[in-house]
Amino acid sequence: MKIAKYPLATFCAALLTVALTTPISSFTNIVWLSSMNAPLGFFSGLEIILFDFQRLGILLYGIIIIEFAIAFSFAGIVNKYFYKSDYAYAIAGAIVTGLTLFLITELTTQTEVLSGNRTLIGKILHCLAGFVGGYFFSKLISKDRNISFAIRTLGVIFAYGLLGLTLNWAFQPELAASGFGFNFSELSLDAKNALIRDFNAFFLASFVFAILGVITLNSAWFFSSGFLYLFAGVFNLLAIYGYETGFNQIFIFEFIMGAWPTVLGLVIIYHNRKSLS
Amino acid sequence: MKQKLIILGLVFLANFSFADYHFETIVSGLDDAWSFDFLNDDQVILTEQPGKIKIITISSGKIEEVSGVPKVQYASQGGLSEIALDPDFKKNSLLYLSYSALNQNGKSTLFLMSAELENSRLINKKVIFEAKAYRRVPIHLGAKIDFLPDGTLLLTSGDGFDHKEKAQNLDNHFGKIIRINKDGSVPKNNPFIDNNNALPEIFSYGHRNMQGLVVMEDGTVYEHEHGPRGGDEFNIIQPKKNYGWPAITYGIDYSGAVISPFTKMSGMEQPLKYWVPSIAPSDMIYYSGDLYPELKNSFLITALVSRDVRKIQISNNALSEEIIFTKLKTRLRSIGTSPKGELYLLTDGRKGKLLKILNSD
Repeated sequence: MKIAKYPLATFCAALLTVALTTPISSFTNIVWLSSMNAPLGFFSGLEIILFDFQRLGILLYGIIIIEFAIAFSFAGIVNKYFYKSDYAYAIAGAIVTGLTLFLITELTTQTEVLSGNRTLIGKILHCLAGFVGGYFFSKLISKDRNISFAIRTLGVIFAYGLLGLTLNWAFQPELAASGFGFNFSELSLDAKNALIRDFNAFFLASFVFAILGVITLNSAWFFSSGFLYLFAGVFNLLAIYGYETGFNQIFIFEFIMGAWPTVLGLVIIYHNRKSLS
Repeated sequence: MKQKLIILGLVFLANFSFADYHFETIVSGLDDAWSFDFLNDDQVILTEQPGKIKIITISSGKIEEVSGVPKVQYASQGGLSEIALDPDFKKNSLLYLSYSALNQNGKSTLFLMSAELENSRLINKKVIFEAKAYRRVPIHLGAKIDFLPDGTLLLTSGDGFDHKEKAQNLDNHFGKIIRINKDGSVPKNNPFIDNNNALPEIFSYGHRNMQGLVVMEDGTVYEHEHGPRGGDEFNIIQPKKNYGWPAITYGIDYSGAVISPFTKMSGMEQPLKYWVPSIAPSDMIYYSGDLYPELKNSFLITALVSRDVRKIQISNNALSEEIIFTKLKTRLRSIGTSPKGELYLLTDGRKGKLLKILNSD
């Protein structure tokens, strides 16, 4: 775990930064929509924040992981050989976040991709999010981490990946259904009900199982989530070859999403047995 | 026997419905060609975004460059955009150009110029409109031109990307359709002429990046506009109406962020049709000729992303869509009809082509 804690801490710090960054754009939109007298309520506001955290966040997550990896490596060298500071990683996080957003604008279309980054206060808030991410990173690496840290980190990333599908079915079932090849408007009322009911249950359950696995470190929760996707993959292949529904590559995604928590569950069992013996 | 008759009938219907099209390359190697119009049956005049206007003789393939073209800002999505011949072009030789350029203060915006075409030269040039929509880079300009039956002119002015919220304010030209006289003056019956808080040129507002504009003989205006990720729209335009962008939309931002959770709002118009995912509509005509009977009385919309043409028909308030010219598999920038009723397509980007559509029937 000595070496592994650094990349895992980077993943965690990046996710925290994403969680702090995306609401800046969400609230920028919410404030403007409110000024237009848009009928914003609790659920529509929540919809914006959660969707931004997932959809916008996924894009940012990849970028922030890369920028943090570079910045924290540099900060680590400075911290070790030149100037030791408790805030070296935090400052590195702030600078690299601001610099990355600046470069994304200048090196691509010269337009602001993030609506929250158009104002000076938005830019400052983005840097602050990077600062908090860097500070969190320094705390995570300040002491030795055990295997449970790795399992929790990878479990959270898995759940984060599932969040999009869960939100789609919860808030936009018509759009989500079209992604699965259903023409929602042409379905009977019973069929619509079944679709919303079952798909919501499937994705929400697999998401909740993963979160419970992260909290409790009980392998059964990870297996529950993983088996749902593994079986989906198996039955997808059965549908393709047994019922000739046409070839699709979704089974690859299903096997990956099934294997991920299943492996985490197996690691927990292996680790528990090892500690017992 | 009965089965054979049914099969024969289906084959006949299939042939009747889906004519086989061929495409003849008139010229190739065009550099970001954007728009074209017909000077006569045999001559096309077209724009290239870097700032060139070319006259192409179809029968010989001869290309002649027009001089006196205004200096444009060729960057991002900007440059020389639309060319539209005056409805009385044969009498007055007038044409109109839309383009992005820097104004006297060095600010980038959309301009509209009128000029006379004389022996491959633009003369009597006059900037008749400068959009109060200043932006850092020339992006989301709109820039489509068409003429209303009363002799006034419509110009689409896009939202400028970073300025999308301004499409809802009437004190600027971001995300607006503009109506002016051909000399640049403001018609006295413009919808916001009496509103002191609105710019008088505004015809309709709440638009994004409008690259299709068709005025029918009866004055009905149809428009299409690019959505973000999803939410391209096909609209019927009425004066003073708000088309909702970005307060309502069927799309999400390129970054994945929510632009608005609303698709409908009081006081905002709904599109006749929207596309999710985006097709990136780039131009539109209404085809009323006889050379392609299966396309008669339909809107033909070129698309950049889906790389095809969408045939839209509206009858008895019902709208139907058919995807055609799919075998081209290239980004399509513009579509036009010759005076004889022949259809032509312009492909997008460097090494673009002007194609003539041949109906094998």
